Amino acid sequence: MTGRVFEIREFTLQDGPGIRTTVFFKGCPLRCAWCHNPEGQSFAPETLTLRDGTARRCGVDWTADALASELLTNADILVQSGGGVTFSGGEPLAQADFLLELIDALRARPEATGVTVALETSGHCPPETYRRVVSRLDFVYQDLKLHDAAAFARWCGGDLELVRTNVAWLKTSGVRHVFRVPCIPGVNDTAADRAAFRAWAGTSAIEFLPYNPTAGAKYPLLGRAFPLHESESMV
Amino acid sequence: MTKRIESLLARTFDKEQAKFRRDVDWKPLLARFVAEKTDDETRARMGLEAMLAAEMPAFMDGERLHFLRTVRQIPDLHSEDEMAARRASGTAFGEKGVVFNLTADFAPTIRDGLDARLVEMTARRDRCRAENDVEGISFLENAILSVKAVLGLVDRYHAQTSQRSLLSAIHTGAKTFPEALQVLRVLHYAMWCEGEYHCGLGRLDQYLLPYYEADRAAGRLTDAEALEWLEEFFIACNRDSDLYIGVQQGDNGQSVMLGGVTREGKPAFNALSRLCLEACGELKLVDPKINLRVDKSTPLEIYEAGTELTAKGLGFPQYANDDVVIPALVRWGYDLEDARDYSVAACWEFLIPGCGLDINNIDAVSFAGCLDAALRAVPDAASYAVVERAFFDEIQRRADALVQKYRHVEILPGPFVSVLSAGCIDRARDICRGAKYNNFGVHGTGIAVAVDSLASVRELVFEKRLVTLSALVRLLDTDFAGRPDVLAAAKAAPKMGNADPRADEIATRLLAFWGHAFDGRRNDRGGIFRPGTGSAMYYIWHAREIPASADGRLKGQPLSANYAPSLDVPVKGPVSVVRSFTEPDLVPVCNGGPLTIEIHDSAFARPDGVTKVAQLVKFFVARGGHQMQINTINRETLLDAQAHPERHRHLIVRVWGWSGYFVELDREYQDQIIRRVELAAS
Repeated sequence: MTGRVFEIREFTLQDGPGIRTTVFFKGCPLRCAWCHNPEGQSFAPETLTLRDGTARRCGVDWTADALASELLTNADILVQSGGGVTFSGGEPLAQADFLLELIDALRARPEATGVTVALETSGHCPPETYRRVVSRLDFVYQDLKLHDAAAFARWCGGDLELVRTNVAWLKTSGVRHVFRVPCIPGVNDTAADRAAFRAWAGTSAIEFLPYNPTAGAKYPLLGRAFPLHESESMV
Repeated sequence: MTKRIESLLARTFDKEQAKFRRDVDWKPLLARFVAEKTDDETRARMGLEAMLAAEMPAFMDGERLHFLRTVRQIPDLHSEDEMAARRASGTAFGEKGVVFNLTADFAPTIRDGLDARLVEMTARRDRCRAENDVEGISFLENAILSVKAVLGLVDRYHAQTSQRSLLSAIHTGAKTFPEALQVLRVLHYAMWCEGEYHCGLGRLDQYLLPYYEADRAAGRLTDAEALEWLEEFFIACNRDSDLYIGVQQGDNGQSVMLGGVTREGKPAFNALSRLCLEACGELKLVDPKINLRVDKSTPLEIYEAGTELTAKGLGFPQYANDDVVIPALVRWGYDLEDARDYSVAACWEFLIPGCGLDINNIDAVSFAGCLDAALRAVPDAASYAVVERAFFDEIQRRADALVQKYRHVEILPGPFVSVLSAGCIDRARDICRGAKYNNFGVHGTGIAVAVDSLASVRELVFEKRLVTLSALVRLLDTDFAGRPDVLAAAKAAPKMGNADPRADEIATRLLAFWGHAFDGRRNDRGGIFRPGTGSAMYYIWHAREIPASADGRLKGQPLSANYAPSLDVPVKGPVSVVRSFTEPDLVPVCNGGPLTIEIHDSAFARPDGVTKVAQLVKFFVARGGHQMQINTINRETLLDAQAHPERHRHLIVRVWGWSGYFVELDREYQDQIIRRVELAAS
């Protein structure tokens, strides 16, 4: 089996403890209007046309073994700093079977001792899949994007019930986790929204991430318009 | 920061001190020197006397440490014709010819005062008279008059201030921490007035420690007060700096070295080292430029204290690794105790304060230029090995030419700086006649471009056979015109900085060769030639000398500064960069020249960003890196600063071996920084 990845980034500092390497999986069931990684949405390989005209192929297929080897070339500093590997995307859980193979491949390597494995997810997947993967991890960043089902359907194109079920399980799972809210002006950033997210998180840690003003930067490279800008005119 | 320091800082940054300045026309003095064929030593002494006589005591409101420059120009001691004639007759000079890139031995004079030096010199002169040592008599008389000129200005300052106690210490020696800073300020100021430049401050946290400790033990000084004194001294380093000589504003060599080990090999990072870091962090000024010595046993917490400054965007500290530098210096013949006492000259060239008259940047070899010449020399090469051999032969040829060119270098005398240099009074000779160490350093520029180009030649010409070598050379002259496929393949070939052995093994061989290119060669002063990985400003100059290169770099595009990945090259990230650049053995190429990386300022968005960047530096040190500096930048901010300089007056960047204000740099230097690879932008 292979997994499709659109980027492997070293020295990511925002995705968990210590120095980490983050793998961005290609493909996502959601279409959040503010998504800043549009090249992570489609499961198909794509080409980014950079500003200087050069093309960048986006979407590489890896076997679990090869990807584990690539990630562990930096095992020394990951271990030294108390860091590890983070799976992000796209939506890593959309390639759950590959992800489980990759986790096995990583755990099997002696040099991976001390490397923690973390996940960033929308939680938009079947509960059975969610539990199978999450129970194997050291740490989860679980997005809370919207707390209202209609708004979630409108802005992200998803079914909030799936996320609710997975979040409820996560809170009692014993797996270390942090909830993250991407604050989007005019979408989910009122005081009432914050209170609702806090109530949803309960006793778990929650972070509110400020809106990234360059979120739309990569859409033109794919020949696409930034959906949030188009929507804003409608709001 | 106290209100007083806050006010001094703001007014110094706004150059209030410039209101005291005036122009002096030194042409009549020079005309007299030329007409009377005055000897060099007398000119140096008379120049200092004239300069200090022209200086006027000046005080900024609220200051407690005195001395600032009021005359803009320093006297020229030689006419252009005179210097040209000497060069034409076969004499080589290092840069302007005067003593530069040197850190004086401040400690004995801070301790004893200049009066004690006068007594010592007078006695030594009398011995020279008894021995009929004419050169010795001349040196000492000039040195005595130079010291008297300095004391003359000190006394004029005295007459105008009520705070006599600090200034008295210049005569009689410092007993307290504030006095020690005042003496240091005057000695350093006077060196610039004598015409020396790139005057380093050395191991401040070591030679000022006794005063700090004595004051603390006696209950005369709190840490808050010590910090305030240090801050005032550091602000003073920014008063006259726009009058100092440099290629660019900010390139003035006011380096401080903190931490490391003592001459006995004991850990040397102390409470004063920490206060120095704290002072710089509060002031956010470009001077002095902080260097921090570390080794594999240095606790993470010290790296974190350094990284706090990186996070503030100061471009320093620059780290030096004792585990590599000390053995490198010992291998080059430095005594172990001296090697443990190392600091840096202006930027990053390692030198021993007080006893080293090394000219650590005498010239540079352009590796990119060598490769360009080599490719043209072997257009029909049958294998990659032939190309690499031709490249190394060209390096050797240029190294030998430099040895020839600089075998005999003359340095112009500096009687006052000689008083501040170990052994000069004892030997009764000016420092220009030689110090304990008299080695020359040679930079190697464009390392990454040369390595990437070789990797590209190997892949395109000898493995994929996409193009012949002679055709490739023609493409270099036309910016790959008509062959976008070759250009794309060149850009996609292995690059240094990606932990790719196909590039890194070439770098390892290149630096192993470079490390031995000067074996057995000596200069006329008995010194050796030390190869290094720095670039100084040559990265701008050497880029102009070559067409496109085989790595896909087009004509006119700049080279990277120092030891760094090529510009515009996609790299996986800073961990791979560190891995690549610590693959070669750096001991033989340890003249100086740091791994230079750029980190996006978002790395410090979370509080633990400091710890993580500190861990990256520690990783570099553990892997045997020699020297490293980190620029914290944000391309958008730099572009905005080009468009609206008035909004970014405080924006600091690391240029090649020093921190400067971005808006004060020439456009070419600004643009080069904007093109550097920004790492960790997530």
